[in-house]
Amino acid sequence: MPTGRLDEDRFDRFLAGALQKHSEPVPADFTERMLSAIQQAEQRRILAGIVFQQRLALAASIVLGACAALAAVFFPAATTEVFRSITGSVTEHAATWFGKIPQTIETIRNQWQSYAILTAVFGFAIYSLVELLLGDRLRIA
Amino acid sequence: MDKVAENQKKDNWLRLLCSGDQQAFARLIDKYKEMVFLCCRRLGLREDEIEDVASETFMAAYKGLSRYAGQSDLSTWLWGIAYRKAVSYLRKNRKNWQLKDELDEQISYSRSDGPAAAMQAEETEKIVWQAVEQLPRLWATAIILYYREQKCIFDIAKIMGQNENTIKTYLFRARARLKEMLAATFGADDADR
Repeated sequence: MPTGRLDEDRFDRFLAGALQKHSEPVPADFTERMLSAIQQAEQRRILAGIVFQQRLALAASIVLGACAALAAVFFPAATTEVFRSITGSVTEHAATWFGKIPQTIETIRNQWQSYAILTAVFGFAIYSLVELLLGDRLRIA
Repeated sequence: MDKVAENQKKDNWLRLLCSGDQQAFARLIDKYKEMVFLCCRRLGLREDEIEDVASETFMAAYKGLSRYAGQSDLSTWLWGIAYRKAVSYLRKNRKNWQLKDELDEQISYSRSDGPAAAMQAEETEKIVWQAVEQLPRLWATAIILYYREQKCIFDIAKIMGQNENTIKTYLFRARARLKEMLAATFGADDADR
């Protein structure tokens, strides 16, 4: 067979033309089934997120309770001082709030570790509470 | 003007796709499902495996669309995903399956009705397609990407994870073998037409 006679460009065009005409068999309902699988996967993903957040919120509640209990048992004085300084500042000295700022700063400076931990735990508790009550609604929206 | 409008339409579609719009994704599946099935079949997946891998491909595309930055054509990007999924499936599920081993072998599932039987049907497209099916898998994939999908060597290299010279070699050898097979089937003059 004199294949040398085949013109290169024509052969390329012939090949491209023939291959482009080919249609590959695909199940007729593939798109519908694929979309349904994607929707199911999305629902599973949202559900998994909600379950994870609920578990996190539960863990946070336990950790918060445990932290408070441990702090009360092992550092009663510091815990009392921290809470007294917070509540005291608000209730007893509300009128002289601004005058207390330097004193508050001084207290924070002296006990910044307690405040940092307390702030983190408090923030985590608020976040957990929001997640617990509104997490799923926020995510679905 | 038409081209501008078309581009704008395409951009909107891409934006919808990237934002997770399911109608836009349904359009993507419709547009590219044939291509994904083709890729899986040519790489040698069985019929019962093809749909699973195609589904995995589209699922991966759905999850990855937010990261698709549009550096390459959408079809090139999808071909890349389908190719990697199919190869990874074959590696995982076929003992001793290696891409390199396929290079100089004929496809193991070559059909019994070869070019001669196909010629009886007198359908050029079928004959050419059967000839492509006789090629080693990687050659066939390169040929399909180049001639059918009109991809450039750079894109084919990217899809198949090979360097450009390797792709050029695949194309050169595959083309030569196809020419031999088709010339033997059609006669030089017919194939030349």
